[in-house]
Formats: sequence, structure tokens, C-alpha cells
Amino acid sequence: MAKITVDNVSYVYSAGTPFEVRALDGVCIEIKENTVTGIIGHTGSGKSTLVQMFNGLVKPSSGRILLDGEDIWAKPKEIGKVRYRVGLVMQYPEYQLFEDTVWEDIAYGPKNMGLDGDEIKKRVSEAAELVGLEKDALEKSPFDLSGGQKRRAAIAGIMAMRPEVLVLDEPSAGLDPAGRNSIFDGIKRYAAATGAAVIIVSHSMDDMAKYCSELVVLSHSKVAMTGSCREVFSKCEELESIGLGVPQMTRLVMLLREKGIDVPTDIYTVDEAEATLARMLGGAL
Amino acid sequence: MNNIALGQFYPSSSVMHRLDPRMKIIIAIAYIVASFLCKNVISFALLLVSAFALILLSRIPVKIVLRSIKAIIFIMIFTAVLNVFWTKGDAEELLVSWKFIQIYMSGIYNAVFIAVRIIAMIIGTSIFLTYTTTPIQLTDAIEQLLAPLKLLKVPVHEFAMMMTIALRFIPTIVEETEKIMAAQKARGADFTNGSLAKRAKALIPVLIPLFISAFRRAGELATAMTCRCYRGGKGRTKLNVLRFTYRDFIALVFIAAFIAGIVLLNIYAPGYSM
Amino acid sequence: MSYIKIRNLNFSYKDDEGNPESVLRDLSLDIKKGEYVAVLGHNGSGKSTLAKLLNLVIDDYDYFEGSIEIDGVEISSSDMTEDDIYELRKKVGMVFQNPDNQIVATIVEEDVAFGPENLGLPREEIRRRVDEALATVGMTEYSRHEPHRLSGGQKQRIAIAGIIAMRPECIIFDESTAMLDPMGRREVVDTMEKLNREEGKTIITITHYMDEAVRADRVVVIDDGRIILDGKPSEIFAEADKLRACGLDLPQCSDLVLRLRSRGIKIDGEINTPEECAEAIYKAFKKS
Repeated sequence: MAKITVDNVSYVYSAGTPFEVRALDGVCIEIKENTVTGIIGHTGSGKSTLVQMFNGLVKPSSGRILLDGEDIWAKPKEIGKVRYRVGLVMQYPEYQLFEDTVWEDIAYGPKNMGLDGDEIKKRVSEAAELVGLEKDALEKSPFDLSGGQKRRAAIAGIMAMRPEVLVLDEPSAGLDPAGRNSIFDGIKRYAAATGAAVIIVSHSMDDMAKYCSELVVLSHSKVAMTGSCREVFSKCEELESIGLGVPQMTRLVMLLREKGIDVPTDIYTVDEAEATLARMLGGAL
Repeated sequence: MNNIALGQFYPSSSVMHRLDPRMKIIIAIAYIVASFLCKNVISFALLLVSAFALILLSRIPVKIVLRSIKAIIFIMIFTAVLNVFWTKGDAEELLVSWKFIQIYMSGIYNAVFIAVRIIAMIIGTSIFLTYTTTPIQLTDAIEQLLAPLKLLKVPVHEFAMMMTIALRFIPTIVEETEKIMAAQKARGADFTNGSLAKRAKALIPVLIPLFISAFRRAGELATAMTCRCYRGGKGRTKLNVLRFTYRDFIALVFIAAFIAGIVLLNIYAPGYSM
Repeated sequence: MSYIKIRNLNFSYKDDEGNPESVLRDLSLDIKKGEYVAVLGHNGSGKSTLAKLLNLVIDDYDYFEGSIEIDGVEISSSDMTEDDIYELRKKVGMVFQNPDNQIVATIVEEDVAFGPENLGLPREEIRRRVDEALATVGMTEYSRHEPHRLSGGQKQRIAIAGIIAMRPECIIFDESTAMLDPMGRREVVDTMEKLNREEGKTIITITHYMDEAVRADRVVVIDDGRIILDGKPSEIFAEADKLRACGLDLPQCSDLVLRLRSRGIKIDGEINTPEECAEAIYKAFKKS
């Protein structure tokens, strides 16, 4: 069964005014358990709105969001509980840090859940470990951390609530390559430790190719494509026609095929390209 | 989120929109003075007619203007009612006398006059200063009108720059507030339920990041402005300089004639006078 | 002759406890007029500090030694007057990371006019420069728009126009693409390239995106306050180990070619972009 089902969801901003905008239009998606799903789309394609629907921050104008088969808006008063089950890391989450110490900040979510002291302690240190924050960093003020550390502290704040679904909106935006890697490593560790479904929104096709197994492509408020990475990236032309790029390796394969070299189309990471081309060119293995 | 209306500027290219904002400030003040000069039935009637003429001239839907009156309707009724009860007129004018309540004809007149005056003032100022003038035009106009104060070492330019930057950053900060609130809600913050004290406390996780971010923005903006050779108002020129045109002078003649007309009506027109 | 000449620069900040925190160590660098240089380095490598020093917008420092010369003027000397600094900022413009925090006015053209207004130029000249600058960044049709309704890439182009309108000889981009989506990044990088190729501006772009560095004439890699690599992009991206050691990545195509070569496959040429890479691999196929 799907972990989350987005059932024919539409959303209209400022309905009934001249500024009316349709942010989502008849969106149907299934998010599988134990998988990393990527959501791609332009700025303004509706993906930020969609992301905020998973945990009930935004209520669909029409349609339903099902979590484990149950409509999350069935009991509107209990929408708060959904937010603990579906953890959302917003864009530039370091701007949400506010406590005196990193430890306190990570504990903010668990405290709101009403957990007892021991459980909070356990969860904070666990979350800090997952994102790779050192013990002495936990005692510091969050504002004294480096950019990458702040980001990891903010993500730990969501992980500490131990959500069954972890949703991240552009988790690596603005970070340098080392920072990007450490964020994604943390996410992978969380998924492995808890078996949570992970949803990542990103502009970077290369990151998507590297970390996701399923993809959803949004364009003009609608779902343009869904499927495994392999399926989606093999439709290069379609992706490019909606103005989205393809991973660099996919692009390379396309160029080679144009030149008449019959390279398989399902390559999108450097590892795959290396293996395939080495075999074809007869290099050492 | 991109549609926060600052003030209530209503885009159009009517005559009113094209007047120089400095002239609009002057005329708005003159119009308020005129509304206080009105004394009798005919001058107030002229005032009311002029207010609606302004709406027509500005080509703003009457419905929209009436909305701004709706906001103060209670104050208006309250003031009018007070006038009905508190005005003491001549004995032969007494209409109702019941226990300690006495209503005179002049009380009724005054109540209507006050209501008309408030309506005219609201319509006048909102037409001149909010519906047809953007906040930034107003800031520019105020800076230039107050320019003589620079001689008295009043930091007029700095004040105007502060206003401009504030106007520029309001939408940015509003957007940021919404984002931070959403982020804290995602961590279980509850801004809508509980006692007032509890709700105020729930705002701390929003206010602290907001302040920190505002200071950071201010620092970055200051650096960017420095890099663009900003060093205060000294030696600065402007791309868009306000220039009076014939339209502005015609408007000035109109308002002068209007005030003169009201003064003359006060003196010569018959009927009850305040 | 070099336009920017930095000699043995040592620089440290004061941290919160007042202890010096060394940021730049014995750094020397020459940049010629009309060059397009990308400065790479991980966060905290000192690259942004270097950029800010070139515009003298750091005043809270602990230690500053060495010399910086721009267009023959020694800007690091203590007898720089306020007017000298003003002249410097006319010559070297800066575009920052967050487009929201560098736009001053509520109307696009008035923001672009901000710099020229500060220079005290006559009105007609400001008008001419604003129109020209907006045309250069392709934002003419937005001249009367409100900046906060524009996309990130558009806002950043407005910020660039605001700098171009001051007619600087050199423009420094301090991580100006870090907060943009791919489309916005492309818009900004295309603009940089255009300014360099068509208008002959000296461009220094500080970034950690490898695919942006690939487009420059020259790449300088800073790690821990020192320059560790300096050369053409193809030379730099051949140094995979050094780059990885300082927390940077390779462009994927350079990575692939290096890996294939290490397996004994002969691939010739300078390879940075997917196009170059495809061409080189195609040749390798034909040979085999």
C-alpha cells in the first residue's frame, strides 16, 4: 500500500479575486513506503504548495491526501498529529533556529509532541548523530555554527520527531559540495535507521539521479511524468521540452547517440557511464 | 503571496493619478480645511457633491471607496448621535423632550453636517493620498516638500530613505514571517489554540528568527548600498524628479475657487448655520 | 600589467571572544584587465572575504597585512581617504548572494538608478545609463515593475544592472548564483559571460558550482586562506584529488574522462562540458 496518496488534489490561491492562481490542478501521486521519491519542477510549478500539503500545512481546495490510506483532513482538529508523522524540512530551514542551544532547538519538536524528558534526550542525541553533529556543537548557540552545520541542526530538529515520512524542500540549496554530501548522507542514514519514506524536492537533476529511486515531475501545476529514475530520465526530450534539464550523464549519452554510437539510454550517474563506456571501449575493468 | 497591497493604491491613469504627489498633499490638506470651513446646508451640500466628483474624476469604482467609509461607519454614527443629544438649540426648535433627553432641530442638522464632513474628509484624503498615489510617490513628495527643513539640519533625506527601504522590505518580511510560521508549525507549534499568554509564547519561535533575519538583511543591505557609492543625501541626484505641470496649477486654482466658494456660501447662503 | 595585484595578503577577523581568526594567509594574486576568473573554494575558505576586501567593505578586522593594488592604486594603504574609496567603488562593483538584500527601491528602474544617483550624475545621463543597463541584462520590459514580484534570477539581473549602470571596469560576483534555481543561475551566468565577452569587463565570480567555473577563462582555488590551484579550467579539473581534498567536486564530465583514462582508455583534449566530452569519446570510439 502507498504511504501517501495524493488523490486528485487541486489548490487555488486567492480564490474569487482577480489574483486567483491555480497552484495545483488535479494532481494524483502515490508515494511508496521505504523509498526515496524526488519531486522536480520549476519555481512556480506548484511543488512548494504540494510539499506543504503532505503534512497538512496547506489544505487542498479539492481532493484528498491519504496517509496510510486515511484522509488526513478527516478530523481537522487532529491535523497537528499529522505534522509529527510527516516531517517537513522547509527551504533554508536554518532560518527557523531560535533556541539558546542547538540541543534545545532540536528538542523543540519532541517537546511539542509532549514526550517525556528521557525520550526527548534520546531522540535529540539520536537525531544529532544521524546528521553528523558533534556533541560539543549541541551545547553551542545555533547562530555560532557554520552554514552547513546550521542546516544539519535544523534537519535534526525534524528527524527528532521521528516522522514516518521525511519531506525535504531543497535540502542542499546554497551549500558547497561537501555540505551537500553531508546533508544527503544524513538523510540516507535516517531512512536506513527508521525505514521512513523520504520525499526530496530539488532542482538538481544530478542530485536526483544520485539519491532518488522514484521521480515525480511537475509542470504548470500538473503532474507531467512519474516513474522510476530510469523511466523518467530516458524521456530526455520531454524533460527538456518542459524546460527542465537532464542529468549531465544522460545528456552525454544523448549526444553520443546523436553521433551514432549506440550507448544504452538508461545511464544517469557517473558510475554507470564509467562502467558502460569502459566495457564498450575495452578498457581495464 | 505576491499580492500584498501596500496601502490601497488603485492603478489607473486618471487625471487624479497624474497630478504631482506634492500637489496632492497640498490639496488634500486644503480640502480638509475646506471641510472644516463649511457652516451651512448649502456649503455642506457642495462639500458632499465635491467628494463624489472626486471619486468620478479618479475613476475608482465607488464600491471600493465606500469600503473605506465602511471601516469608520461606527465612529461616524457615534459622533453623529452624540451631536443629536448634546446640541442645545433655541426653545422653539425643541423636537423631543423625554426625561433628560432633549433633541433639537439644530442637533439633527449638526449630526448630518458632521457625518458629511467625515465622509468628505475620508473620501478626499483617500482619493488624493492612497488610491491615486503610491506610497513611494508620497515618500518622494514628503521629502521634497520638507526639503527646506534641511537648512535646519533636519535629516529629511535620511528619513525618506528609511521610508523607502521600509516600503521595499514590507512584502519581503511578510513573506518571511509566513515561511517561519509554517516551519515552526511543522515542528508542532500552535498559534491558534490556547490562552492568550500561551499564544503569545508560541510566537517567540517566530519572532526570534525574524529579528535575526531582519538584522542580517539590514547588514547586507547596508554593505550593498555602500558598494553602490551611497553616502547619504549629499551630492545625490535623482532619476525621477517631480515636476509641476499645467495640470497641477489648474488643480490648485480649482481648490482655491472651491474654498472661496464655501466661504462665500457661508456668508450669503440662507438657512441653518452651525 | 595586472589590473588587480595582491601581494602577500594576511588577514584575520576577531571572533566572538576577541581572538584573531585567520582567514587569508600569504595570498598573492594577479588579475589582468578583461579576464574572467572564477574563484572556487568551500564555505569558509576565505573566498568571500577576499572579494569584500577588494571593495573595502570590511571594517571589523583584527589583522591586515600585505598589499592590494587596483588599477595602479594601492587600496590597502592607510592613507586612503573617503573620496579615494568612493573612486575605488566606482571602478569595482559587487553583486551579492541574496538578491532581496541588495535591492533598495520599490520600482526596478529606480533601483538601477540608485548607483548613478549616488554618483551625482545629471538626470539625462542617469536615464541613459539605466536604459542601457536594463537592456544589457534583458530586463527593459520590467523597468516599471516592482522587484519583489520578480523571480530570483530576474531580481539578480536587476542587481547586476544596478552595478553596470555605474560603469565599473570590474564586477565581482560574490556567490551571486547560490540562491537561484537552475534557470536563474543560467540567466546570471549568461549575463556574466556577456559582460566579459561583449563589454570587456573584468569578471571575478566566486562560486562553488563547478559547471559555472568551467565557463571562466581561469579558475583560482582557495583553501584555508591560500591559493592552492590557479590555471585554465581544464588544468584545474584534472587535479581531482586536490579538489576533493578541499571539499570540492569535479564537473561530472571531467570526472568521467579522468576515470576512463585511469582505466587505460585514451581520450584526448580538454574536456569540461558534455559537448566536449561527447566529441572526445566519439573520437575514442572511432579509433578503437
